[in-house]
Amino acid sequence: MASLDDPGEVREGFLCPLCLKDLQSFYHLQSHYEEEHSGEDGDVKGQIKSAVRSHLSDFKKHRAARIDHYVVEVNKLIIRLEKLTAFDRTNTESAKIRAIEKSVVPWVNDQDVPFCPDCGNKFSIRNRRHHCRLCGSIMCKKCMELISLPLANKLTSASKDSLSPHTSPSQSPNSVHGSRRASISSVSSVSSVLDEKDDDRIRCCTHCKDTLLKREQQIDEKEHTPDIVKLYEKLRLCMEKVDQKAPEYIRMAASLNAGETTYSLEHASDLRVEVQKVYELIDALSKKILTLDLKQDPPPHPNTLRLQRMIRYSATLFVQEKLLGLMSLPTKEQFEELKEKRKQEVERKKILERRATLESQQRLEERRSDLVSHATNGEVVSLRGGPAPLRKAEGWLPLSGGQGQIEDSDPLLQQIHNITSFIRQAKAAGRMDEVRTLQENLRQLQDEYDQQQTEKAIELSRRQAEEEDLQREQLQMLREREREREREQFQAASLHMRTRSLDFREIRPFQLEPGREPRNHLAHALDLGCSPAPSSAAPKTPSPSLALEPIRVWSGPPALGQEFFPQSTTSQHNEVPSLNPFDEEDLSSPAAEGTASPPAAEPSLGPPACVLKEYNPFEEEEEEEAVAGNPFTSPDSPAPSPFDEEDGHPHQRPSGPPVPGNPFEEAPCTNPFEVDSESGQEGEEPIEEELLLQQIDNIKAYIFDAKQCGRLDEVEVLTENLRELKHTLAKQKGGAD
Amino acid sequence: MNVVFAVKQYISKMIEDSGPGMKVLLMDKETTGIVSMVYTQSEILQKEVYLFERIDSQNREIMKHLKAICFLRPTKENVNYLIQELRRPKYSIYFIYFSNVISKSDVKSLAEADEQEVVAEVQEFYGDYIAVNPHLFSLNILGCCQGRNWDPVQLSRATQGLTALLLSLKKCPMIRYQLSSEAAKRLAECVKQVITKEYELFEFRRTEVPPLLLILDRCDDAITPLLNQWTYQAMVHELLGINNNRIDLSRVPGISKDLREVVLSAENDEFYANNMYLNFAEIGSNIKNLMEDFQKKKPKEQQKLESIADMKAFVENYPQFKKMSGTVSKHVTVVGELSRLVSERNLLEVSEVEQELACQNDHSSALQNVKRLLQSPKVTEFDAARLVMLYALHYERHSSNSLPGLMMDLRNKGVSEKYRKLVSTVVEYGGKRVRGSDLFSPKDAVAITKQFLKGLKGVENVYTQHQPFLHETLDHLIKGKLKENLYPYLGPSTLRDRPQDIIVFIIGGATYEEALTVYNLNRTTPGVRIVLGGTTVHNTKRVHGFHPCSGN
Repeated sequence: MASLDDPGEVREGFLCPLCLKDLQSFYHLQSHYEEEHSGEDGDVKGQIKSAVRSHLSDFKKHRAARIDHYVVEVNKLIIRLEKLTAFDRTNTESAKIRAIEKSVVPWVNDQDVPFCPDCGNKFSIRNRRHHCRLCGSIMCKKCMELISLPLANKLTSASKDSLSPHTSPSQSPNSVHGSRRASISSVSSVSSVLDEKDDDRIRCCTHCKDTLLKREQQIDEKEHTPDIVKLYEKLRLCMEKVDQKAPEYIRMAASLNAGETTYSLEHASDLRVEVQKVYELIDALSKKILTLDLKQDPPPHPNTLRLQRMIRYSATLFVQEKLLGLMSLPTKEQFEELKEKRKQEVERKKILERRATLESQQRLEERRSDLVSHATNGEVVSLRGGPAPLRKAEGWLPLSGGQGQIEDSDPLLQQIHNITSFIRQAKAAGRMDEVRTLQENLRQLQDEYDQQQTEKAIELSRRQAEEEDLQREQLQMLREREREREREQFQAASLHMRTRSLDFREIRPFQLEPGREPRNHLAHALDLGCSPAPSSAAPKTPSPSLALEPIRVWSGPPALGQEFFPQSTTSQHNEVPSLNPFDEEDLSSPAAEGTASPPAAEPSLGPPACVLKEYNPFEEEEEEEAVAGNPFTSPDSPAPSPFDEEDGHPHQRPSGPPVPGNPFEEAPCTNPFEVDSESGQEGEEPIEEELLLQQIDNIKAYIFDAKQCGRLDEVEVLTENLRELKHTLAKQKGGAD
Repeated sequence: MNVVFAVKQYISKMIEDSGPGMKVLLMDKETTGIVSMVYTQSEILQKEVYLFERIDSQNREIMKHLKAICFLRPTKENVNYLIQELRRPKYSIYFIYFSNVISKSDVKSLAEADEQEVVAEVQEFYGDYIAVNPHLFSLNILGCCQGRNWDPVQLSRATQGLTALLLSLKKCPMIRYQLSSEAAKRLAECVKQVITKEYELFEFRRTEVPPLLLILDRCDDAITPLLNQWTYQAMVHELLGINNNRIDLSRVPGISKDLREVVLSAENDEFYANNMYLNFAEIGSNIKNLMEDFQKKKPKEQQKLESIADMKAFVENYPQFKKMSGTVSKHVTVVGELSRLVSERNLLEVSEVEQELACQNDHSSALQNVKRLLQSPKVTEFDAARLVMLYALHYERHSSNSLPGLMMDLRNKGVSEKYRKLVSTVVEYGGKRVRGSDLFSPKDAVAITKQFLKGLKGVENVYTQHQPFLHETLDHLIKGKLKENLYPYLGPSTLRDRPQDIIVFIIGGATYEEALTVYNLNRTTPGVRIVLGGTTVHNTKRVHGFHPCSGN
């Protein structure tokens, strides 16, 4: 706030709101913002950090207490189980077994438990009490569980094998107990009589069995990695590889396709093959995952199948997305051609640049002498009053800077040469990384250089434009008079039209009116154009004619709408001669471009010509070098503006009233659809018919749209189109049957 | 202040924190909606989340090779489900995120259930609302009030949703509410209570001007949800219904199988993002451009596929083409269906009269038009009832009110009892007696001149004359002119500067027309950022949600 009040702090231009850098143009600012600040939405940034709350420590505290208890429980059971199985049960008397069992865990007194604690039935002679050998508790026969020896062995041996039976993400105290138990495992006492009933099983209660079963599950899981995991891990590895290699390849291919010699063609094609192989591997792996266990007898759980399908789907998505970006390489011959072209381009650019500098110098000198003469005349000063000296100062400052730049540009060019030679050396040494960075440097330098050139040119042209303001003003006066006359005529015509527009329900701007008549013509023309289309089967031929038709109609609304304003036609004819000089200039510009001969500077010819000459080389460059495109587009825009001002008006005036393009666009545009779709139906794909249907729907929507806006005649045209479409559809269907 | 971004951040963080490996996302019914609004399937697949399960689904298989990310609302049932889940874990490791504040005792009982130590994370991530647009959120509560008062269950849900929103946007606001609504006051108090209780959560970096939460009640403007809309998103919602970005097209005649249900999400449908706020006529021409573009990209016929290079190019471009064809056919279908409905139900005419009823004060002409439309056979009974509702709301106290006559006309037209009853319900809900402010006749001189000038200029578009009442409210709020006797502050402190960050919540639901208003305000007022929310997002069909006694 305070800074805004301070006059010294006021800054204008395309400032970045975050770093206050002046970016010169809207586009630069936009791209700058997207590049630099897109990630940092000032509001949401850091939001995650404070707007969450973790309960993990709390959770862990509660869990730890519980877990200790649980782990102790499990280990106690396993130790007892081990004791129970440590002796040869089959060759021991049952009485002895019982004694050992009782020594492992004290049994609960029979008298204390009159009912089964699990099911609540009363114990009697029929319903006898059974003791759990693991915890000593009592239950009835129904509630009793048994543990087979193999299971017991599995449980005890697993704990023995792995000293850290790790089952959970965090360190579990299991391991400690496990080792402790191992020391006790040596305890074993043998010799007993045969127990006829439980010689290979151990009685226990449901709770102990449950705990042990959970433990068993854990053991199983730990040892078993399903196939899908193995395959999936491979798949991810491949994807990572692609993520690494693909960008490298794309960089190479782009460079090669541009005819640069940074990378070798063989190397690139090797890499391409490599990447493609990885893609194939991904495809194969994901397919394998998809069909995993499909033929197994109990078919896998639907969720497993869903998982497999999803993995496959995401792999396909991955391949599709990445493969799209994988551009093709030029063949050897093509590459040679490209190289040649590139060389020529570079040459040409150099010449052009040199010429540009020369020209700008020339221009500068001329301007200077011009300015001097103006100043001596005193015209500029007297006309502009206050701002004139200021502008002059503005004009001169960059000029001197421009001269400086010309001298400076030589070292810049030298630098460029140096770097190119470096690149060559690095390439010879095969250090690709260096080549890349060097190339980056080179590109930046070139950009810089180009930009300097353009800036110079812009500065010049701007100044020229300013100086020629005087002349333009005179022209303007003439034109103003012309326009005045025309406007009178036009008003007469529009009055005439307003009466017509009353017929319509909606209040429409009258400008639309003149559009109607031509549109009808157009519709006829289009209808004519499209009727031969199906038979000709040459989809391209009708379209240019169609495209031309509207233009012709468009450019001459007075001719078609003669009933409306006969006068305006004449007025436009009157206009024509006054426009001519500019038209000629416009025409001359491509010619100059073509011959590329530096035209002699004729200040008398007017500024636009000069500007054009100034620009030609750069425009060419722009086409040649896409990279340099950006800096050019924006500086371009201010320069042509004098043109817009000058000849834009006279052009627009006559065609001004019927300007709203909508009615025109509407009609010619729908037609190409039709033509296309008709040609499309030969493509015999099922999509084509769908498309046709869609287009029908679409046209229906337009009809609605037109109806809504009250453009009734358009509705007619569209309905006709619709009918035609439907007809084609019917025909196509008939043909298909 | 972008709610979509805020929720998406949360989800992304969850997924990232779980590390590499195959993942399953465990959700409940509501969080499923929350996630689906901000992430598409293909997007989330790229992050190795392959399965989406409901915590309450019973037939989930044990898949120990998967990591589980649980995103759940902290309800009692969810906690119980989770306890069961942890007792017998189906996945190797669990990352648990609650969408709101969870009690310490719940954390304790969860911890005690985790005997196998499978839980690696327990956090609160405040994504407890449906992010519809960047500036629009909903809680998907229908029928939030009983009579004039809150259903206690829904009140606590609304409080949770609203506090979660504040937390996710990092705002600790001052609160204003609509005095005429008891419900608004209750909610304001509840929100304040939570802020006080969880003060350490709400400690954010202080901004120069504190943010503002404005709580309104739908009953102050019952007109807006009754009007037909003409912008794309609003129209789709009004005529087809949008539910968590999904549109059910199964009733469209001759619809193809894969278009039965389509997803319209501005996040990844560029065409939709660019057109959702444009009106129907503009969309017509834009869709035409889309088609043209599509035509250009469309693979040409056989003769062009002669060389192998051509074929290769075709194959390489095909996925892109397919994607585009999906977009094209989707929008063409939707727009086609909209225009079919518009002409079938004569909506243009209906809408014109609706707008007249809402925006002008010419009783006799309005009455005449309503009567005329009631005679038209094309006007559906629903639309007819709606016109009468609008009439009833506007001319409730007019000297020559002829509501009984119109009701008779409705009966003669054969409009069912259900719809006719709505008329009186709506008046009861949003009639003059209830309204805190005057919807129809402007009081101050400025507003009168404005309306006069508007009348003089004529209207640009008869179908979009209506400005929701919210526009005026917000306009006053932004200018610091919103009357404190109508919209008091909760608590002693008041805002001295003009507000910058504004969160508006409408009890009884917001509309897409209001969303558009807020969108435009955000665009045109520099320095002001507004987020709109409601218990739901309305269309007229949900009008009975106004008043639960009348619905069903």
